[in-house]
Amino acid sequence: MQINLVDLSLVLLQQMCVYLVVAYLLSRTKFFIPLTHVTIRPPHKLACYVIFSVFCMMGAILGMPVVHAIANTPAIGAVLGGLLGGPVVGVAVGITGGLYRYSLGGSFALAAALGIVVQGLLGGLMHRHLIRKGKVRTLFDPVKAGALTFVGVVLELLIDLAVARPFGQTLEIVLLIAVPELIANTLGAAMFIGILLDRRALIERQSSLFSAKALAIAARADGVLRRGFNQENSMTVARIIYEETGVGAVAITDREKILAFIGIGDDHHLPGTRISSASTLDAIANNEVIYADGNEVAYQCSISPTCPLGASLVIPLVGEDSHVIGTIKLYEPKTKLFSTINRTLGEGIAKLLSSQILAGRYEQQKAMLAQAEIKLLHAQVNPHFLFNALNTIAAVTCDDPEKARDLIGDLSTFFRMNLKRPSQIAPLAEEIEHVNAYLQIELARFSDSLSVDIDIPDSLGRVRLPAFTLQPVVENSIKHGTSQLLRPGHVSIKARQENEVLVVDVEDNAGLYEPKPTGQGLGMSLVDRRIKNCFGPSYGVTVASERDVFTRITIRVPLEAASK
Amino acid sequence: MINVLIVDDEPLARKELRRVLSKTDDINVIGECSNAIDAIGVINREKPDVVFLDIQMPRVSGIEMLSMLDHEKMPHIVFLTAYDEFAVQAFEQHAFDYLLKPVNQARLDKTLQRLRRDREPQKIDQLPGANQLRQIPCFGQHHVQLVRMEDVEHVASGVSGVYVVSTDGTERPTELPLHILQDRTPLLRCHRQYLVNTDCIEKINFLENGLAEISTKRGQVIPVSRRFFPQIKERLGIL
Repeated sequence: MQINLVDLSLVLLQQMCVYLVVAYLLSRTKFFIPLTHVTIRPPHKLACYVIFSVFCMMGAILGMPVVHAIANTPAIGAVLGGLLGGPVVGVAVGITGGLYRYSLGGSFALAAALGIVVQGLLGGLMHRHLIRKGKVRTLFDPVKAGALTFVGVVLELLIDLAVARPFGQTLEIVLLIAVPELIANTLGAAMFIGILLDRRALIERQSSLFSAKALAIAARADGVLRRGFNQENSMTVARIIYEETGVGAVAITDREKILAFIGIGDDHHLPGTRISSASTLDAIANNEVIYADGNEVAYQCSISPTCPLGASLVIPLVGEDSHVIGTIKLYEPKTKLFSTINRTLGEGIAKLLSSQILAGRYEQQKAMLAQAEIKLLHAQVNPHFLFNALNTIAAVTCDDPEKARDLIGDLSTFFRMNLKRPSQIAPLAEEIEHVNAYLQIELARFSDSLSVDIDIPDSLGRVRLPAFTLQPVVENSIKHGTSQLLRPGHVSIKARQENEVLVVDVEDNAGLYEPKPTGQGLGMSLVDRRIKNCFGPSYGVTVASERDVFTRITIRVPLEAASK
Repeated sequence: MINVLIVDDEPLARKELRRVLSKTDDINVIGECSNAIDAIGVINREKPDVVFLDIQMPRVSGIEMLSMLDHEKMPHIVFLTAYDEFAVQAFEQHAFDYLLKPVNQARLDKTLQRLRRDREPQKIDQLPGANQLRQIPCFGQHHVQLVRMEDVEHVASGVSGVYVVSTDGTERPTELPLHILQDRTPLLRCHRQYLVNTDCIEKINFLENGLAEISTKRGQVIPVSRRFFPQIKERLGIL
């Protein structure tokens, strides 16, 4: 039987075409999807094993008997099985294919069977090597897959030479089948991977659909978190993402706790509970996206060992100065693969939400600041007070120049201290100085109808409180209290220590306090808010009043407030 | 000679104004008041030609005080203010005299010259707030009480003057004549001598001769004269 090299090559290529047609047809089915991704999940491994074993055996069947050998293409199945499925799958495919090849008989049977096992192992080792290097993409490179198969075939031929006897005949056959096998296997493997890539591209072509989804999410979630990054708004956003992406579950957390969780596993992932997942805490601490796909990076729910979730993507929500304010998490159950699209989408959503939260906070701060600043500006300029003071000084100047000079000094002290930034913390003694300057002017204005007494123990002078706290309270007592009296007014300012709290009472004898939100309420609430901001909700300003008898405004700050 | 009253709650401000006014010979400061209530009494009693009136004062502002005066017999008003944009706007609009504190001598001279030349009747009614009473000033022996409109049951005028009767029955004399109270409050004129708060009416009894009487919720009976009956019926929506 005389077989020439060209004919053999053509026959093998023909066979390869049949082989690839089968591969192509199979690629249109669902069975093929696990092959398009690297996987460690047993069902996917099994699918990988079965498919490549079938191809391996098919390669063997389609072979052409050449004397005692068979020129064939099982190498494609074995090498690719190992390359895509890992060493275990590779060797398993190799053994399966090898046994089958052995069953076909011939003097090459043992050598060929061994060769197939070695090819499976080769693919598996390359898989492991590339995964360790993090070069997952290279696994799907047709040229490199072809090259690897080429190496596999070379190894097989060497084994043939080493194992099959007699050597002379073996050499002859090897020389005959070497070139056709190398060409057919190399091309076949490359094209097989090509088919896989096409298939994957097809799957991912659905990404256009996903961009539409991204836009839908953006439109639906617009402005929700701007109203505040809290549990309620987070739930709304999580629901939108869950509905639009179709992932297994969606969670939103702040830095400490879960704000929202919707989807599979919501029986034990409860909003309001503390974050327990290490990957989430890592994502928050290091400001990085953490992707535990359940394959290459193991994922296990930190709350329940029976949780059906099998993969998670944690994306930090980033606020000002790259400060992480929370995370958004997407999950897929163990029965489902995490699509690369959802991964990208997740990062996009995180950016969208981050900027929303930031915008919301910015707006809120701006509004608060604007209100405080207007109020403060008013207090600092205080035209009523200024012109009345100037009028008083003008009146005093003629009769008592000395007194006039003192008053001008008080006025300048008052305005100088007014210009202190309100965020500053000042000792009580300084606040008293401010109040004194103010009171000197008011006492001169209402000389016949106002008296004031101040009783502050020296020991409390060093207690610190927000600057500009005491004066507005005293001014309030005069402006809305004693100056509205038709009888003489009296204001007393007393400070005392109550456990670890500094208590300052400012009391007038007018009792005209109205608890409705008038001008005075705004000023007092500002002072109150600033103290609470500094020291917490148990401190601040309270009011007690009896109509026409007294109004007492009480300021409470912690004694040990060294600094903010 | 022009008789002047100074009304300001700040003693030094009064002193300062008195000082600058005393430089002129034809101005006679007849007194100072530290609040609007005192001032109403003095104005009604002494009838000054000109009142220098501060706007910001306790309980009753300068403008509100004007609502408590009879605009027909009003002295000429020169408003005083240290700082009040809105008030100044209104003064400018209706060409009222006003001075900013501290008082500028040149500006004061100008004002005084105008006062000497002619004191055109001021249209106080046009000033926002000067035509609406929120409370009626009532005078006790040693104090003034401001009775809020919702506390007034009726007002009666008798030989000894005008009395404000509260919903609790307390009677307090006031210096404001009945017709001013009628003009500047929602009180309803039901009789030559009576004004009644319509919110306090419980029923109206029809009598013979087209007469009627009002029973208040407190049980007080107030006569209704034939002359005012049609107006009452119209106001209360009775046909």
